[in-house]
Amino acid sequence: MAQNKTNLTRAVIVLALASVFFITLDLSDSGSTSRIRRVFDTVFSPVENVSRVVTRPLSGAWNAFRNYDDVVEENDRLKEQVALQEGAAVAAAASVRLSQELLALNGLPTLAGINSVTAQVIGETPTNFSQTVEINQGANSGIKVGMPVLNAAGLIGKVTEVFSNRALVMLVSDPDYALSVKVVTKSSRTPVTLPPLPTEDAPTVDSVLETTETSTTSSTTTTTTTIVGFTPSVTTVPAEVVAGGGSNITVPIASQLSVRETGILEGRGPGSRPIVRFLDASTRADAIEVGAPIVSAGGSRSLAPPDVVIGVVSRVVERLGTAGPVLEIELVADLSNLSFLRVLLYQPITESGK
Amino acid sequence: MQLVASRWFRLVLVTMLVLSLQTTLLSEVRFFGYSVQLMAIFVAVAGSVHDVRVGAIVGLVSGFMYDAVLATPLGISALVLGAAGAGTAVVLQTFREPTWWLRILVVSVAAALSEILLPLTKAVVGLGGWLSPRMFAVSLVTFMGGLVFSAPLIPISRWTLREQVSLGRR
Repeated sequence: MAQNKTNLTRAVIVLALASVFFITLDLSDSGSTSRIRRVFDTVFSPVENVSRVVTRPLSGAWNAFRNYDDVVEENDRLKEQVALQEGAAVAAAASVRLSQELLALNGLPTLAGINSVTAQVIGETPTNFSQTVEINQGANSGIKVGMPVLNAAGLIGKVTEVFSNRALVMLVSDPDYALSVKVVTKSSRTPVTLPPLPTEDAPTVDSVLETTETSTTSSTTTTTTTIVGFTPSVTTVPAEVVAGGGSNITVPIASQLSVRETGILEGRGPGSRPIVRFLDASTRADAIEVGAPIVSAGGSRSLAPPDVVIGVVSRVVERLGTAGPVLEIELVADLSNLSFLRVLLYQPITESGK
Repeated sequence: MQLVASRWFRLVLVTMLVLSLQTTLLSEVRFFGYSVQLMAIFVAVAGSVHDVRVGAIVGLVSGFMYDAVLATPLGISALVLGAAGAGTAVVLQTFREPTWWLRILVVSVAAALSEILLPLTKAVVGLGGWLSPRMFAVSLVTFMGGLVFSAPLIPISRWTLREQVSLGRR
C-alpha cells in the first residue's frame, strides 16, 4: 500500500512537471506540441465524431427550444435586408471589379489573386476562456497555421491549429488575437472642384475623333454612401463627345484622398468589442469619426493581406499625454452566428514553418 | 494486457467520452452563453470518491487531453484540473463520512473554482485578457452544472478508478 502511494505521488510530480514543461514549450512556439496534438486528434476524432452524431438530436432540440423565436424574427429582418441590398450589391460588385482591375494594373496585391478554401463551422469552443471555432477543412485542403479566415461580411480570425481534416480558428475577439489595421479617416482638406476650362483651352476632343458637328452633353454620377469617413466624390463623365463646351472634369488629387491611420487591433473576449491601439499620438481624435471603416493593413509581416474589411469604429476614446486615441470596433462579421467561412490560402511570413 | 485492464487505461477511455461530450453537446448547449465544464466536474468527482493523489492524477491526465483539443497552451488545463481534483479530495478528507449532498456541493464548488483558476493561470503565463467579472458568471454556471451532473458521475468515476482486487500470486 505504501509503495502504491509512493508511486502515485511520483506520478503526480512527474505529470505536474510535464505540464510546466509543455506550457513553456508551447509558449515558445515549439512544433513538438503541435505534433502531440495531431497524434491525439487521430485517436480522439473518431470518438468525437460518434459523439457528435449521437448528441446532434439533443443539441438540435435545445437550439429549437431556445432560438426558434429569434430565428423567425431574424429571418424576417434578413428578408427585408436582402431586398435592400440587392440593388446595392450590383453597384458594389462593379466597383470591386474596377478596383481590382486598377490594383492589378498597378501591380498591387488583391484578395482576388489569393486562392481560398470554403469551410463549414462544425463546432464552437468547448471552454469559456478561448474564442475559437472548429472548421471541417484542414491540412488536406492546404490550410496552414496563420491563414486568415473570412466570412461573407469580413475578417473573422486566423487559423491556429491544423489537423488533417479539421482546423481551429481563433476569432478576432480572442484576447490573444492582434492584427495591424488601417483606419480610413476623413480627409483633412475640403474637396476641391476644378472650374471648367475655357472653351478655347479645353482639350480638343473633336480633334482626336475628327468629328465636326456634335452636341454637348454630359452625365454626372454622384455616389452616395452611409459609411462615414468615405467622402463620396462627384465624377463628371462626358457621355458624348464634347465640341467646344467647357466641362467639369474631376481629377483625383492626393489631398482629396482619405487619410489612413494604422494601429493594432486587439480582441477583448466575448461580449466586449475589439479595440485598435497604438495609433499615432499625433492623430487628432476628431479626425476619426464613429463609423469610419477598419481594414487590414497588410505588409510583409502582417497576419492578413491588405484591405480585408474588419469593421467600423463604434467609439473613439481620447487619452491624455502622448498616448494616441483608442478605438472601439464594431465588427462587420457576426461572430456569434458563423456557418460558412473562407480560409485565404495566404500564410504570413511570421507564421511560416508552423 | 495488464495495462489494458488497468484503471488508468479505463480512465483515459472514459475521459475521452467525457471530453467528446464536452466538445460536442456541451459546447452547443450553453446556459446564458456559458458552457458547463463537464471535464472539471468529472475531475472533482474523481477527487471526491478517491484520495488526493488519484484526484490529482485524474485532473492532470484529463487536463492534458483537454488541452490537446483546445488552442490553449498544452498543460494549463492540466495544472488547473489537477489542483481541482486534489483540492476536492483534501476538503472531503476533513469529513469522516461525508453525506451525498455534501459531496455534490464540494464537487460543484471545486469545479466552479477551477473556472476562476483557469483565467488566473492563463494570466500568470502571459495570456491575459480573461480576468473579468465574466469569469464569476462562468463559474456560477459550472457550479449549477455540478449540482446536476455530479450525482450520475459518481458511480462512473467509482467504476473507472476501481482497483482490481488481487488474490495473490500462485
